[in-house]
Amino acid sequence: MKRILLLALFPILMLSCRDAKKASEEKKVVLVAQPEIHKELYGFWVGDFYTAEQLEYDGDMQDAFEKLNINIKKITKDTVIAQSVVSGNSRPLLGKLSADGGRITFVLDEPGSNKYDGKFDITLVGDTLIGKWNAHNKELKWPEKEFKLLKKKFEYNASLMLPTEANYVDWSDHKMIQRVDTAADGKIDTLDGNAFYRSASNQIFKLNASTHLLKEEDVKNLRKLDLQIIKNTIFARHGYAFKKQTFRNFFDPVKWYVPVKNNVDDDLTPIENKNIKLLDRFTKYAEDNYDAFGR
Amino acid sequence: MFFAYFFMLMVQLTLRYIPLSSDVSFLQIKQTEVSSIKAYLPIFYVHVYTAIFVLLAGFTQFNAEILARYPKIHRRLGYLYVVFVLLLASPSGIFIGWFANGGLMAKTSFIILGILWFWFTSKATLLILKRKITAHKKFMYRSFALAASAITLRLWKVILVYLFHPAPMDVYQIIAWLGWIPNLLIAEWLIKRKII
Repeated sequence: MKRILLLALFPILMLSCRDAKKASEEKKVVLVAQPEIHKELYGFWVGDFYTAEQLEYDGDMQDAFEKLNINIKKITKDTVIAQSVVSGNSRPLLGKLSADGGRITFVLDEPGSNKYDGKFDITLVGDTLIGKWNAHNKELKWPEKEFKLLKKKFEYNASLMLPTEANYVDWSDHKMIQRVDTAADGKIDTLDGNAFYRSASNQIFKLNASTHLLKEEDVKNLRKLDLQIIKNTIFARHGYAFKKQTFRNFFDPVKWYVPVKNNVDDDLTPIENKNIKLLDRFTKYAEDNYDAFGR
Repeated sequence: MFFAYFFMLMVQLTLRYIPLSSDVSFLQIKQTEVSSIKAYLPIFYVHVYTAIFVLLAGFTQFNAEILARYPKIHRRLGYLYVVFVLLLASPSGIFIGWFANGGLMAKTSFIILGILWFWFTSKATLLILKRKITAHKKFMYRSFALAASAITLRLWKVILVYLFHPAPMDVYQIIAWLGWIPNLLIAEWLIKRKII
């Protein structure tokens, strides 16, 4: 009972932090007494979150599909309490479940206090939640998105690694390399010719910063991107919801990755904390020195 | 002008190590050595702090005007250069070279560099004490060619990283050799052509 009360209070606490709709939500406390139904649907529902256009475009350099995680926390006759995590953005959801002749549908609302808040319309088809999301704000670049979510357990597992079959190239950011051309008349032109995209080395599949205490020599020959990926793989194992596009592109397509929360600092193990310190030091060194005069 | 520019860059790099600290700049990736080898940090700092004096003393020594007009200045700076190189810069260079990044390939290069530097400098000193000016000059050209690797090594790094984006220790193994061998070849070429 205590737990139920806490669960019921949870979205209210979240909302009160944002100072929005506070008054209207307080009524929900009254609903605590209602019996819970469809407990089998509780948990994380995870899958791609995409626009119709994205589905059609098939290219190498586009951003990965966003990963949507809807965490269903409590269902009663009148209320569904859940949480959405997408693009590093975690939002409380409130809504209703309707069971119409065995067909289960949900309507879940984000509070509306965030620019990207919207409404989820979801149908349970077999073992999949299929649905659409519509932004409250129709001016957004993508006001409508679709998704297919499967139920997934989230468990921290230190030995998980990035899958080797993917290419880890940072398409979201690049540096222009000037190309120098000598024209026929001897004039020298500099062209903003080749874009350089950072790509990771295969060390990112070998070094596990959650299970092994890394030594300086292990990471000395790594570029900044490798160091960042090895560090962020720790966070991904803990279910950190990445805000940076670069890391969402790397981790959102990974099967085992479930974006669960915005802060995993308290979940880190002593080995991980030590490794993060080491990796941060090397990242800073790489930033300051890699392409500069010096060593 | 060219020298002055790179000398200023070297001064900037040195300033990063003031105040004395055990984990700034390059030392950020040398914490294994710093914590496990007691002598590493003091000897590292000897090497860092002597560099700009050695370079400054060296820059002026090949200027014909100073040589002819102010032999005293040449002699004094010469003493400074020789004492710093033989007692401080080259022995400390050999020591930290033993623990260099980049594995055996880089270590070998830095140790050979340090030994040659010591040898050329001491030879040049002995020769001038015997008043053998031409031979002294030749060996000082060689000595300073190696001293200038402090600059050329770092310059090659910028160039290689810009062009090829290699992994940091791959580039380190290359510049360990590229930093001083071309310099020495140029010195030898100047000596052969009797430009000196």
